[in-house]
Amino acid sequence: MNFYLNGKPVSHEGDPAARLLDVLRDDFDCKSVKCGCKEGECGACAVLIDDVLYNSCCVAMGSIEEAHVLTLEGFRETKQFAALSKAFGELSAVQCGFCIPGMVMASHALLLKNPHPTTDEIREGLSGNLCRCTGYNAIVNAVENAAKEGDGLW
Amino acid sequence: MVNYAPKTLQEALKLRQETQSVPYAGGTDLMVENRKDVSYLFINRVAELQQVLEDEAYIRIGSGVTFTQALENKLVPELMKEAVSKIAAPAIRNAGTFGGNLGNGSAKADSVLIEYVMDAKIRLLSVNGERIVDVDRFYKGRRDLDLRDDELIAEILIPKQKIEKYAYQKVGGRNALAISRISFAGIVDTQDGKIKRIAAAFGAVADTVLRYKEIEKTMLGKTVEEAKELRETYIKAYMDNMVLTRGRVSAEYRKAVCENLLRDFLELI
Ligand SMILES: Cc1cc2nc3c(=O)[nH]c(=O)nc-3n(C[C@H](O)[C@H](O)[C@H](O)COP(=O)(O)OP(=O)(O)OC[C@H]3O[C@@H](n4cnc5c(N)ncnc54)[C@H](O)[C@@H]3O)c2cc1C
Ligand code: FES
Ligand code: FES
Repeated sequence: MNFYLNGKPVSHEGDPAARLLDVLRDDFDCKSVKCGCKEGECGACAVLIDDVLYNSCCVAMGSIEEAHVLTLEGFRETKQFAALSKAFGELSAVQCGFCIPGMVMASHALLLKNPHPTTDEIREGLSGNLCRCTGYNAIVNAVENAAKEGDGLW
Repeated sequence: MVNYAPKTLQEALKLRQETQSVPYAGGTDLMVENRKDVSYLFINRVAELQQVLEDEAYIRIGSGVTFTQALENKLVPELMKEAVSKIAAPAIRNAGTFGGNLGNGSAKADSVLIEYVMDAKIRLLSVNGERIVDVDRFYKGRRDLDLRDDELIAEILIPKQKIEKYAYQKVGGRNALAISRISFAGIVDTQDGKIKRIAAAFGAVADTVLRYKEIEKTMLGKTVEEAKELRETYIKAYMDNMVLTRGRVSAEYRKAVCENLLRDFLELI
């Protein structure tokens, strides 16, 4: 099975029914991809596949032949990440941090589609990402700021 | 396990006939089920299943169309969009498909509820040809579909129709904290002051979606005034007919919720 991980062509031998989540963590050492539920409910395992947001626990390896998978490990190298990271930091939007990789990937997916989202659109865009710590407001404000200050990046 | 990844519909149908593989569209139900030792037939790259088309009679939604794609498509009816927009969250709507929603045979499937009230037909394909089945016949019961071993769900055919008034409600959530969920869809059209069509269906309350065409008939052709008079009789007929599965919340409570949903809907007349 061949696909692209963070821009690089990679291949994977193994069960096509294996979860992308497990393969990313165990075989490609992408530990930013978290496992919170394995039921599609929490968003901690969210990644982009061909620029679209998916929960990697609900993706079987056999479905991503030739696709481009982006995790935080790759996204970290971009200006868009820098804008989100700065905003999350400034607004203290991170507590324990467990949900944050998924939140950041969901924010990026949202901004790719809609570079100037309203507050409601941000809430909707992040509605599949659960956070036990922050109460969400700081995260939503951070995405709002990143969209403003990172204007033109998405 | 083997990797079956067809690129064309013809290849997919051939593999469906020749192998024991399980069709995999968006994976959002299958991966949660996490069946052991299965080979999937990955149909997520079959472009022919991912189109929304229109002919004289129908809007044709490909089984591989995702909920996100439907929300962005002009041909998909508003009532369908309203229901689909309330499914889970973006990552699930990006993956979940119409075919997969039907494929589970679940009474909770939100797009299927709308297919019931809009009198949709399901187009099935195999290497031997096609079958077209009314959605309420296709859905025989819980996890029980009129789907043969060699068939794939190809399209959902929604008759073109002008909908005057509709109601859609989804009460409660799916997430771990919500203890129950009931969904309701209803359509009512009048012509020359008379009821021309009325359709109402409940999701997630029994083994399958519930719609009672016999009860609906008692309203047809009535004037709006007569229909208003008939409301309570109509509601009672539903309550007498509806047998709800036992859940974590008492059946009586859920029946009361159904009654309220129906009453709100009838206010549209
Ligand atoms: C967190 C979460 C929240 C959810 N919330 C909702 C919700 O609010 N409302 C709702 O209705 N559903 C919900 N679902 C369920 C699920 O997302 C939907 O049922 C979705 O439509 C399934 O589509 P899929 O393409 O992912 O299906 P898959 O998982 O790929 O397949 C599901 C079944 O259909 C069969 N199948 C798929 N395509 C075909 C075909 N073309 N021909 C024959 N058989 C086929 C498969 O073999 C399998 O048995 C939720 C799921 C999760 C994980
Ligand atoms: S681990 Fe994938 S959504 Fe929770
Ligand atoms: S910061 Fe702890 S779960 Fe979100």
